[in-house]
Amino acid sequence: MLIRAELVTPELNLVNRSFYNSLFTMHGTIMIFLWIIPSLSGLANYLVPLMIGARDMAFPRLNAMAFWIVPPAGLLLLSSFFLPGGSAQSGWWSYPPLSIQNPSGNILNGQLFWILAIILLGISSIMTAINFVTTIVWMRAPGMTFFRMPIFVWTVLSAQILQLFFLPSLTGGLILLLFDLCFGTPFFRPSKGGDPILYQHMFWFYSHPTVYVWALPAFGIFSEIIPAFSRNPLFGYRSVAVASLGIALFSALVWVHHMFTSGTPNWMRMLFMLTTMLVAVPTGVKVLAWTATLWRSKLHLETPMLFALAGVVMFLFAGITGVMLGAVPFDLHVNNTHFIVGHFHYIVYNTITVAIFGAIYFWFPKITGRMYAEGWGKIHFWLTLIAANLTFFPLFPLGLQGMVRRISSYNPEYAKWNFIASLGGFLLGISILPFIANIVSSWLRGIPATNNPWRATGLEWITTSPPPRENFAEIPAVNFPPYSYGQPQAWAGENSPQE
Amino acid sequence: MRTHKLEQSGNWWERLLPSGQGDRAQERGIFGFTTFLLSETMVFASFFVAYLYLRHQTTNWLPPGVPRMELTRPAINTAVLLGSSFVIYFAEHALKHHQIRKFRWLWLTTSVMGTFFLVGQMQEWKGLSFGLNTGLFGATFYLLTGFHGLHVFTGICLQFIMFIRSFIPGNYRIGHFGVTVTALFWHFVDIIWIILFSLLYLWQA
Amino acid sequence: MRNFFQNLLLGASVAMLIIASYWLGQQAYSWMPIQATAEAKQVDHLFSFLVTVGAFIFFGVVSIILYSLIFHRAARDDYSEGHPARGNWQIEALWIVIPTLLVLWIAFQSYQIYQQLNFQGLNLPILVDVPLEDTAKSKETKPLAEEIAVVVKQWAWSFHYPNNIVSDTLHLPVNRTIRLVFYSEDVLHGFYVPEFRIKQDIIPNRRIIFTFTPLRVGKYRLRDSQFSGKNFALMEADVYVEPSTAYSQWLAHNNSQFHDYDKLQSTKLAAIFHH
Repeated sequence: MLIRAELVTPELNLVNRSFYNSLFTMHGTIMIFLWIIPSLSGLANYLVPLMIGARDMAFPRLNAMAFWIVPPAGLLLLSSFFLPGGSAQSGWWSYPPLSIQNPSGNILNGQLFWILAIILLGISSIMTAINFVTTIVWMRAPGMTFFRMPIFVWTVLSAQILQLFFLPSLTGGLILLLFDLCFGTPFFRPSKGGDPILYQHMFWFYSHPTVYVWALPAFGIFSEIIPAFSRNPLFGYRSVAVASLGIALFSALVWVHHMFTSGTPNWMRMLFMLTTMLVAVPTGVKVLAWTATLWRSKLHLETPMLFALAGVVMFLFAGITGVMLGAVPFDLHVNNTHFIVGHFHYIVYNTITVAIFGAIYFWFPKITGRMYAEGWGKIHFWLTLIAANLTFFPLFPLGLQGMVRRISSYNPEYAKWNFIASLGGFLLGISILPFIANIVSSWLRGIPATNNPWRATGLEWITTSPPPRENFAEIPAVNFPPYSYGQPQAWAGENSPQE
Repeated sequence: MRTHKLEQSGNWWERLLPSGQGDRAQERGIFGFTTFLLSETMVFASFFVAYLYLRHQTTNWLPPGVPRMELTRPAINTAVLLGSSFVIYFAEHALKHHQIRKFRWLWLTTSVMGTFFLVGQMQEWKGLSFGLNTGLFGATFYLLTGFHGLHVFTGICLQFIMFIRSFIPGNYRIGHFGVTVTALFWHFVDIIWIILFSLLYLWQA
Repeated sequence: MRNFFQNLLLGASVAMLIIASYWLGQQAYSWMPIQATAEAKQVDHLFSFLVTVGAFIFFGVVSIILYSLIFHRAARDDYSEGHPARGNWQIEALWIVIPTLLVLWIAFQSYQIYQQLNFQGLNLPILVDVPLEDTAKSKETKPLAEEIAVVVKQWAWSFHYPNNIVSDTLHLPVNRTIRLVFYSEDVLHGFYVPEFRIKQDIIPNRRIIFTFTPLRVGKYRLRDSQFSGKNFALMEADVYVEPSTAYSQWLAHNNSQFHDYDKLQSTKLAAIFHH
């Protein structure tokens, strides 16, 4: 909100330039590493064992260790604001040579804290990935074959496989950056024969797949909510399951599209244009599957479904702009402009965060044993829908008109759209309030929930709300294909056990 | 039915084993540890890629005054390290056949060989004319060998812990997970070294 | 009878969708800045095409969703199954094949346009001893290109013209091939003129060259596009595309006015550029 406040007017008038640079650097870093990844991991941590009929994750102590790394790493990152030179200020990518310049000259500087915090969080994520992959492979209940798992589990599996294999590239790159920053090594120093483009490759080799680490569980959430509120099995379940792995695979092959304007040879730009375009195919399979699930069904429009539907539509828009960005000549015009900022905010806020809201409403009765207030949920939804579009849609025309990103002041010709975006930003901030109020008050005093208030399929709905400590009184055996909305025994009744 | 702890008695080292759904806990643990090793491999892979990338676009790769890297001592160290992989394999074999004393001797030998390797590395480092900041070669050399050495050191520490634990009566009642994963880790360390040695020392062109 | 009516309605909707998408695609030209180079025209055609295709898909899918939202609502307590279909392999195959063909088509169009752009030296650090003349020969065009060095640093642009003239504004003769040689003194920067539709990061220790032809006289703004630190937001420069005569006059005028410091800079840089 500070960023949007500064950008209300073309001139610099709220914060100084260095601080503005730390603001957008830390905004990106915190949102990615301390909001999206941890909250999705947390949601999956809670749901995956329930969904596969297990009592807990495969390695509970490792799980705890992975969690407890996060708060200290977060504190380390935030504390950098209080350092004499301020926090890291080179953008969340920390591109060298800028990130190794260390203008303050201090040994303890914001960039160092940033690198250490991210390395720590990476270690936590790898531990989590080991845990999830082992859990899903080894701890499914009897009868739960791979092709009976809910799509959420498929997407978590795909996402965690990505984390396992690609996060080390970031870790490696950050270690090299650390050495350059602290010990004066020449890895990324052009004056000493090093190459900043190497950093970009190491960084993006992870940081592209990571966007799918975030998006895949969001797709999984849509795949759980939409069938439940359409009373239909998910259309094309198998293709959607395979597409989850397909997205993971393809996402490994596109990272250079973040470097189309960088020091990449022409042939490389063309190759990665092709692969980037192709990633739209498995993603499209999912969107079309959700659409087909809705078709000729019986829709219930409670809050979780509203968020899921809005998320799907806004994702479609974001995805289409993504394919546009894959077209290199077009990207040459809009790279590093607000067009990109708009594109990725439509993904991370309008799709993923919206999915997380939907998930919280959907599983709230299960987790807390109480129902949230539906009316307030709808208010939160409408405010979010309006505000999210108001805030991020203007960024597209701004980018097309040439407004570069990461600037603290801009030419007056961009003022109109910026004003609308800032208005939206403030509205977005306000829209969170009914959500928080709803969650807190419902958790404390809401109507007690039944085991399965949504009459949804899935093993998590057959246990009590909230589940007992070991998740299930008895490990269930699975006899139905997933999303069996046509078979009432699969979802009806509060306490009816599986056959 | 209600407890989190293992059904067996709760000594703290036994509780260090992975828990979860009762049986097959060992196999699950080994699967998990293997995925960890794959991930660690990717860290080294990223360093190797950085090395290849930088070397590819630099004309004078070796630091000034260093015509070539000396091979004798590193070759001896390599032989010792690779040999220790065989020794640890036989140690595991002995344990599987309940020959605890033989296991302990072979296990100790592995650690001694590993230590020999580390000391050899440190001596080599001391004898080199270039440092971490002497150009790209110096930086990549010390980074790669340094991180590998750190892993060797970790392996030796793990071996030490397992060695001590072998004196606890009834330690292997429910299996030898710790020994298995320590050995796996040691083999991993060796394989990384083979690649490293080839890239840094053998490829002198 | 009903079937015919339904098909008619469906056909009409699809037709409207196509018309609307095409119309939006035409509107797309007006969302872009002025076209100042030949490349800009091509990029705008590509953008229009992307908008047309994107709009068709977006509005197509959204209308299906909206239709379902309006006409397929459940009764309040009705939790019975919507429809039993779990899938249809023909439809699924179709929606794998058609998007694949579509994106391949887009990629091909983009490839053709990119081929008309002329970037060199993208991945060759200066330390690598490849004489630039060899790479340049294959792309050298008949009229001799006007070569201007673009030197950038934290936080200012400077432009080095033939005959060692240095200025902080970029002057370009219209309708002539321009060869811009990019060089950074410190960190990553980016050369970006929205009206030209091209962008290239400027990487220290590399000599990247972009060759193009400005087609429209006017005043434009050059921006640094790759975040470069504290005063990044201030890194702008004026770009003047002017008739050849005006350009030569400006060069001649400036010849008598450059400072000694710049002379030193340009001899130093000349050594790098023409080694």
